[in-house]
Amino acid sequence: MAAGGYFGRALVVDVQPDSVTSTVLPLDDGVLRAYLGGVGLGCWLLHRLAPQGVDPTGAASPLAFVFSPLVGTPLTTSAKFAVVAKSPLSGLLTDALASSRFAIAGKLTGHDAIVVRGRAATLSVVLVDVDGARLEPAAELAGLSAADTETALRQRFGRGWSAAVIGPAGERGVRYATISHDGRHAGRGGLGAVLGAKNVKAVLVRAGTRAPVADPDAVLAAARDLRERSFGPATRKYRELGTLANLLAFNAVSTLPTRNFTAASFDGAPRLAAEELHELRGVARNSCASCSIGCEHIYSRRGGGQQRMEYENVFALGPLCGVSDPDQVFAASARCDELGLDTISAGGTIAWAMECAERGLIDAPWLRFGDGAALLRALDAIGCREPGLGELLAEGSRRAALAVGGGSIDFAPQVKGLELPGYEPRTLQSMALGLAVNARGADHNRSGAYEADLSGELDRMHGGPAHVAAAVATEDRAAVMDSMILCKFLRGVFDDPFAEWAALLRSVTGWDVDAAELHATARRIVLAKRVFNLREGATAADDTLPRRLLETPLELDSGRTATLTAERLQAMVADYYRARGLDGAGRPPAADLAGLCLDLGLDVVDQHNSGAAAVGSDHGTQLV
Amino acid sequence: MVSIGQMDGAGDEAAGIVLAGGRSSRMGTAKADLAWHGSTLLYRTAALLTRTVPGPVVVVAAPDQPLPELPRAVTVVRDPVEGLGPMQGIAAGLLAVADRAPCAFVCSTDLPFLHPAFVRRVLHAIDSYRADLALPVARGYRQPLAAGYRTALGELIAKLVTEGQLRPGMLAGHCTVAPVDDAALLADAELARLDPQLDSVTNINTPDDYAAALRRPPPEIAVQAFGALAGASGRGPRLVRAATLGAAAAATGLTLDRHVVAALNGDQIFRDRQLPLVTGDSVAFLSADAGG
Repeated sequence: MAAGGYFGRALVVDVQPDSVTSTVLPLDDGVLRAYLGGVGLGCWLLHRLAPQGVDPTGAASPLAFVFSPLVGTPLTTSAKFAVVAKSPLSGLLTDALASSRFAIAGKLTGHDAIVVRGRAATLSVVLVDVDGARLEPAAELAGLSAADTETALRQRFGRGWSAAVIGPAGERGVRYATISHDGRHAGRGGLGAVLGAKNVKAVLVRAGTRAPVADPDAVLAAARDLRERSFGPATRKYRELGTLANLLAFNAVSTLPTRNFTAASFDGAPRLAAEELHELRGVARNSCASCSIGCEHIYSRRGGGQQRMEYENVFALGPLCGVSDPDQVFAASARCDELGLDTISAGGTIAWAMECAERGLIDAPWLRFGDGAALLRALDAIGCREPGLGELLAEGSRRAALAVGGGSIDFAPQVKGLELPGYEPRTLQSMALGLAVNARGADHNRSGAYEADLSGELDRMHGGPAHVAAAVATEDRAAVMDSMILCKFLRGVFDDPFAEWAALLRSVTGWDVDAAELHATARRIVLAKRVFNLREGATAADDTLPRRLLETPLELDSGRTATLTAERLQAMVADYYRARGLDGAGRPPAADLAGLCLDLGLDVVDQHNSGAAAVGSDHGTQLV
Repeated sequence: MVSIGQMDGAGDEAAGIVLAGGRSSRMGTAKADLAWHGSTLLYRTAALLTRTVPGPVVVVAAPDQPLPELPRAVTVVRDPVEGLGPMQGIAAGLLAVADRAPCAFVCSTDLPFLHPAFVRRVLHAIDSYRADLALPVARGYRQPLAAGYRTALGELIAKLVTEGQLRPGMLAGHCTVAPVDDAALLADAELARLDPQLDSVTNINTPDDYAAALRRPPPEIAVQAFGALAGASGRGPRLVRAATLGAAAAATGLTLDRHVVAALNGDQIFRDRQLPLVTGDSVAFLSADAGG
C-alpha cells in the first residue's frame, strides 16, 4: 500500500497513430520518498523513461505530468502539477509548474504521474481517468488558441474533464511553446512543442478516486494554520498588487533588464507599473484552486477585454523590448497566451532580434526597440513560423544567434538556450550564479537567489562565497517546494522551512521524515537534474552567462558601475561545485550517484566523463 | 549621489578604520558609548563607513575597552598597548586591513556629522595627489583623524611609535603627505552640495558639544515606498527628517523587518534600522519578497 497522498504508480501512455497503449509503472516507497513528486519525481521519471540522446520532439521523448502528495489536500497553494521533459530549447531537462484543477483531477485519476510518449497520426487528444487512457481525434482543434481549445473540449467532453492544452505555437513546434490549463502556463523550456510533436493538442483528466492522507486531522489543522498565515505580511505583495509590483521597485534599484540587457532601468517603467495600472485598470483578482493568496491581477484593456498580467510578461514584452505603452504590452501578452508562447523566451528572443536589426545583422528594418506594433508583428510571425524571421525566432535566441552569426551570440539573452528572466545578473550576483548553474537554464523559479541579493545581508554587486551559499540554499528550498508541491509565493510564511515542510509531509504521508532528510532530498533532486543533463551532453562550459553580462559593465543610476567578470563568475561556479560536492567539471562522485535511486544512467555519466559516445542505451524504455 | 564605485584606483578598494580608544577626559564618559539616535556614536561612525567604503571596516579599541554593539560587518582590532595615543591605533588599524585594502579612511569616533562625500573626497585625494597620506586641513585645522592613509604606512607608523614619536605630525618627514584644504575639499561638487560647511570634521569633546550636536535636526531624506508598501504613505517620493534608516521607515509608516528592506540611493540593500542617513540620501522601501 502506498504512503498517504500517493497511489504508488505512474501511467505511461504510448500514443500510437490512432490509439494508445498504457502501462502502469509502479513507484515504490523508496523512490517516492527520495523524490517526493513534482519536479523531483519528474526528473526521476525522465531518467527512467527518456532514452539517452532522445530528440525532444521525437516520438520516443517522454512528457510527464507529475502530481504530488499534497495535491488534493486542503493545504493552500497545493493544487499544482509539474510538466517535465527534455527541452527542445535547451536539449536538457526542463520542468515547469502550473496550477489549479488539472492538478487535482489528474492525480485523482489514480496516478502520481501521467507520462505521454509516441505520436498520433493526426491531431488528437489524450483522455485519462481511472479506467485508463484513450485517444480521440481532434482535427477541429487545429490552430485554436489555448483558451478556445479548452472551451471546445469542455463542450465536447463535458465539464468533468480538465485539460492541459497547447496553442498554435505548440502545434508548429515553436521551441518555447507552453502547455496551459485555465490560462496558467507550464511556460518554460518548450514543453508545448514536445506535446505538439506528438500530434496531441491536449491531455484531459477526470477525477474518479481518492488519495487518503495518513493523518487527516493533522492535515486539516495544518491547512487552517497555513491559510491563516497566507493572509499575513509575507504574501501582502502578491495579494495587493501581484508579481507586477516588482517592476517599479526593480527599476528603482537598477535590476530591471531593459533593451536586451543594455540597461537596468527603464524610463517607461512607471507607465507599466502595477501601482499605476491597479488604479487605472485593475478590475479583478483571481486565484488558483486551493489557493488563499490570490496573486493574479487582471486589468482592463483599452478597447475592451481583460488581461492577466505578471511581472515576467511585462518585463519581457515591455522594458526588455523597450516598449512602454501598457496597451501594447497587454496585447503582446494576450497574443502569447493565445499562441501558447513563453513570454520570457518570446520577449528575450525578440529583444535580441531588435538589437540585431538595429545593428544590421538581420534584414528586418521595421523591428526596432520601443515599437509595440513591431513586437506584435514579430509574435505573430513566430506563432505561425512564418518563413524567414518567424522561423528564425521560433528557434529561440541561442539557435537564432548561431544561425545569424556576427557575434550576436554574445548578446543572446540566454543560458543553456533558455532566455533570461527579469533579474539583472550584474546587480544581483547571487542570482547571476543561480542563473548560470541551474539545470533548466536561466531560471528564476528553480533558483531564487535574488532573495539573498535583495535581503540586505550581502553586497549584491560583488559576488563571493556568501553569494554561493545563498544560491545553494535557495536552490535547495526550491527543489523541495517544487516537488512536494507548494507555491513559492508562500515561502515567506515559514519560519523554519525544512522542519515545517517535513511536518506537512509527515501528516500527509505517514513517513517519519524530518528536516535533515528533506535537506538530503533537496540535494538529491538538484544532483539528479545535473546528472540527467550530463548524460545529455552538458558540460561545465554550459554553467555560464552571456558574454555581454560578463564583459560589459553596467552604469547605474546611482552613479556606481556594476561589473560581473568571467573570472568572478567562474570563481563562484567553482565554489558552487565544491558546495555541491562536485568535481571541477561539475560532475558528482560515484558515491553520490549511488544515492540517487536511479540504478540506471550512472554508467552514462561515466561514459560521458570519459568522452565515450554513450549512445544506444535502452534504459529509458524498460518498465519495471 | 556619487558612490565609492566611481573613484579611480586605490579608493575603489578602500577600508575604513574607526579609533574607539582615548580617554574622553573632557567628556567625562567614553565617547564610543554616547547615545546617538537610537544607537551610539561609535555605531554611527562605523556604520557610516560600512555604507561608504567597499573594503573592510574595523574598530580599533584599547585592550580591555568595553564596546557597545557594532554593525555586523565590522570587526574589532585591539591595540596591543594601551595609552600610546592615536598613532598606535592608526598603526594597528592599518596593519589589520593591509592585506585587504590599499588605503583606508581613518577617523575618530566623535564625528557625528561625517558625510560619505567627505570620505570619498579624501580617499580620492590619495590617488589624485599620489600621496601616502591625504590630510584634510579643514576649518583651519589639520585633521589626521579624518584622513586617508595608504595601508602600507602601518609598519612605518608602528616603528615610529616604538621610537616614541607619538604625534601624527611626525609622519610628515617620513612619507608623502598631501594637505587638502577647504577649497580643495569643496572643489568636489558633491561635497560642496551635501556638506558645504564641512561639518564632517565637527567633533565633540565636551558635554556641551554633545548637547549641541543632539539639538541639530536630523538630515532631510527622500523616501519612497514601492508596491504594497506604498499604502501607508502614498505613492511617489517625499521628504522626511531621519537620522537612521529605522527612523526613515517609521516616518514612512513602515517597520524594517523580514518582509521589508530598504535600498539606499538606488544601490545597496539594507535592513539595519540603525544605519545612519545623511543629507542627500534617498531611500526606497521594497518588499523583501521579490518573487515574480
